[in-house]
Amino acid sequence: MSEPGGAAASPGSGDGRVVVDLRGIRKEFPGVVACDGANLTVRAGTIHALLGENGAGKTSLVNVLGGVYLPDAGEIWVHGQQRQFHSPADAIAAGIGMVHQEFRLVPTLTVFENVVLGSAPRYLNMGQIIERVAHLAATYSLQTDPSRPVWQLSVGERQRVEILKALWRDADVLVMDEPTAVLTPAEAADLGLTLRSMADRGRSVVYISHKLDEVLSVCDEATVLRNGVTVAQPRSLAGIDRSDLAEMMVGEAATQIQRPAERPSGDIVLELAGVSALSDRGLPALHSVDIDVRAGEIIGVAGVSGNGQRELAEAIAGLRPTTAGTMLLAGVDITGASPRSRSRAGLAYVPEDRLGMGLAPAMSVVDNAVVRSYRSMQRRMMLDLRRCEEFCRRLVERFDVQAGRIHEPVGALSGGNLQRLLLGRELTGEPKMLVAAQPTRGLDVAGIAAIQEQIVAQRAAGVGVLLISEDLDELLALSDRLIVMYEGQVAALMDPTQVTRAEVGAAMAGSTSTVSGGNS
Amino acid sequence: MTDPGAAPEPTHAPLHTVSRGRARWHRGLVRPVLQRRADVVPAAQAVAFVIGIVVALIAGALLLLAAGNDPAQVYGRMVDSSLGGINSISRTLLRATPLALAGLAVAVAGSMGLWNIGAEGQMMAGASVAAGFAMSAGDLPGPLLIVMMLIAGAVGGVILMVGPALARAYLGVSEIITTLMLVEVSIRVVEWLETGPWKDPESQGFALIEPLPDQASLPGLFGRAHIGALFAVALLVAFWLAVSRTAWGYELRMAGSSPATARYAGISLQRKVLAALLLSGGLAGLAGAIELTGTATRLDPGLSNGYGFAGIIVAALALMRPSGVAAVAFVFGAVQVGGQSIQTLGVTSSIATILQAMILIGALVAAVLLNYRVRWVRPVGHPAEESAPPAGPAPGGAPPSGSSSNPEASGV
Repeated sequence: MSEPGGAAASPGSGDGRVVVDLRGIRKEFPGVVACDGANLTVRAGTIHALLGENGAGKTSLVNVLGGVYLPDAGEIWVHGQQRQFHSPADAIAAGIGMVHQEFRLVPTLTVFENVVLGSAPRYLNMGQIIERVAHLAATYSLQTDPSRPVWQLSVGERQRVEILKALWRDADVLVMDEPTAVLTPAEAADLGLTLRSMADRGRSVVYISHKLDEVLSVCDEATVLRNGVTVAQPRSLAGIDRSDLAEMMVGEAATQIQRPAERPSGDIVLELAGVSALSDRGLPALHSVDIDVRAGEIIGVAGVSGNGQRELAEAIAGLRPTTAGTMLLAGVDITGASPRSRSRAGLAYVPEDRLGMGLAPAMSVVDNAVVRSYRSMQRRMMLDLRRCEEFCRRLVERFDVQAGRIHEPVGALSGGNLQRLLLGRELTGEPKMLVAAQPTRGLDVAGIAAIQEQIVAQRAAGVGVLLISEDLDELLALSDRLIVMYEGQVAALMDPTQVTRAEVGAAMAGSTSTVSGGNS
Repeated sequence: MTDPGAAPEPTHAPLHTVSRGRARWHRGLVRPVLQRRADVVPAAQAVAFVIGIVVALIAGALLLLAAGNDPAQVYGRMVDSSLGGINSISRTLLRATPLALAGLAVAVAGSMGLWNIGAEGQMMAGASVAAGFAMSAGDLPGPLLIVMMLIAGAVGGVILMVGPALARAYLGVSEIITTLMLVEVSIRVVEWLETGPWKDPESQGFALIEPLPDQASLPGLFGRAHIGALFAVALLVAFWLAVSRTAWGYELRMAGSSPATARYAGISLQRKVLAALLLSGGLAGLAGAIELTGTATRLDPGLSNGYGFAGIIVAALALMRPSGVAAVAFVFGAVQVGGQSIQTLGVTSSIATILQAMILIGALVAAVLLNYRVRWVRPVGHPAEESAPPAGPAPGGAPPSGSSSNPEASGV
């Protein structure tokens, strides 16, 4: 079984020994087959990328490995022994550690308490336990203060605590489900170092990600899933590039959508002058922001998350009261107007929380499709259900939403379909202005392309677009002008054709002189 | 085609009946594991309700046996008195009417995720205002007086709900606490009216409120039932239409299901909370007025008779759905009538209360368990061939009993 050579580029200290071998895994859920014939072979000392589009079965497969799901068929081999996991505890006992997308931590407990919860050595006192946790953290360069309560930690720190939890339970294999989706670029770089140091010590990592550049820079080997089937298992990623991976995932080469080069010259559709607003905690979050968006123009908004982007979007949408300044939409003063009247005035808004704010998870696809238009669907005091369904069907068809039955709860759809439904709904009323917050976050390659195409199409149709994103490549490719938010202010206004990633990164970090933060 | 991988979210990890910590000492033994069903039991809530009734009847039979009664005889009497013949059914309807109206009141708030625990109090408030109106305008002709009394009843329920509704909508004060506390207040107020301002001068030493005018009683339907039963059905239908077929109901469902989405859509949450709670209070007040005009000759503190509280159980079992409210209210009405009738056999009527509670418990547990099936699995780490896929056992039925064990054969 041990194939020598092959993984020449693998820098890990692995000896090619197979730690985990999933063979022919099948997992079926009501109405869908998530995996059917999925294989995953992970070698000691490697970082193994698990790639695939949304709904390709990645999460289901690692949940089988982590003991969360019982497979319907297939074999799980760990260290050459066949296993059956009936609970996550079984998997942990076998040395499989999982870091889920949603962290499973107790916010009121401290870091070390969370780490040792349920497996604290009885013969040690608290000081010794803290010391051990600190030592473990230092070994893998996981910067954290063991005595701090978890609720005080940033998302990145919480993730480190999750990793520590797995290491404390002596996980040979650490499974990370989209670990960098919630991280800043700097935190993501630190995470890469930590994972590498784990691999150097002979442990293995299964790394699920959509970000192909990141996979190429962090991982040694890969497994690509398509529609629940393993379609490729490159033993080495040397000589493989982004488009190769994308091709394996979708079956065809994917490219970054690019806006046309010509400059827009429409009238101003959205004008913010001196807009300020408070955060949820009542602290100033936006300081005197001036932005104007022209018809047919995409304004990109970059920034490390938490620098006022969310508040900016909500203030424009009318969901967050402003404390100063004025807003004009197509020349009409909308300062203080209700969300509904802004929508009627031609504002479309794709919120960051697509499920929870943009869409009501427990309500049906139809109910969610008519959020903007239900009032016009009435006939003699009653909602015209047939018209609602008709409207929904057209929406689903036009924006290629894969929705099984339109009376099912919308929460059952996958991320890409949710976003197509949401964006489609917002664009149906022929808006003048589109505010889109993180519209492609967490989507797969095909999903991202579909959303970006729509945004560029809106630009061509003369809609003003404010695109808030954490994906710099996306911003640089799509924006006519680029704004960088820092501490609630517009820190820089840039021409995307004239700047480098590094310069944008530096502005995001709040520095105007030294270049830092931007990788590549 | 649905996207694969979309469905995994609603499924959960298997619920283990054996704790991991102890797995070691019965290594080698086959253990039962509750596993989330892949398929959904059709009409699960109705099935759960029936299971709840069966569980309640079994538990009740054990209690009756322990008390030295013959369960068959007692149950026979209960069924006969509540469902055996037109007269019995009319008595059941008489009970089911306030249960359905109170259940509807709770369900209106419940469809927005709010809990009106104080329907009992709003019923009293509604009955009081209706009685007060009848006393001050007793010379109106019958139909007009009754209509006015019903309106007065709804107003009374709304009045008692104004405080909790405003506090909930604008201050976030839990409506569960405030509505519950006002139950006590409204009953005490009626007791005060009884001994003070509204005391019947002809009652001598007894604390009784003046009787209602003769024309203030609802027309009968058949047997003992009155046309309040028709009101209840009409209101249930109206509620169903309003919630599922109107923009108002859409907004209500949206606000209850996902407040952030409602806000995003420009729906005022505060206004929806106010509307749902005030409507709930008004319906409970109306229930009180109907009970007053339909069954009583005068207002008294026992008029609401626990219907308001039972209405919470009715609404919960019905999952806040109107059709369910009607069905559950009818069954509960029958149980209550049956409970009354067995007193002649020397059995306490509290058996009815116990049965109602057991139906609720049985149905709640069944509703959860219906999502699972039992699988028998061998312990962890057994390196034998165990790749047999779960040959779906337990085709429907109660999971704890109806599960064919599926032990993968091997020499243990």
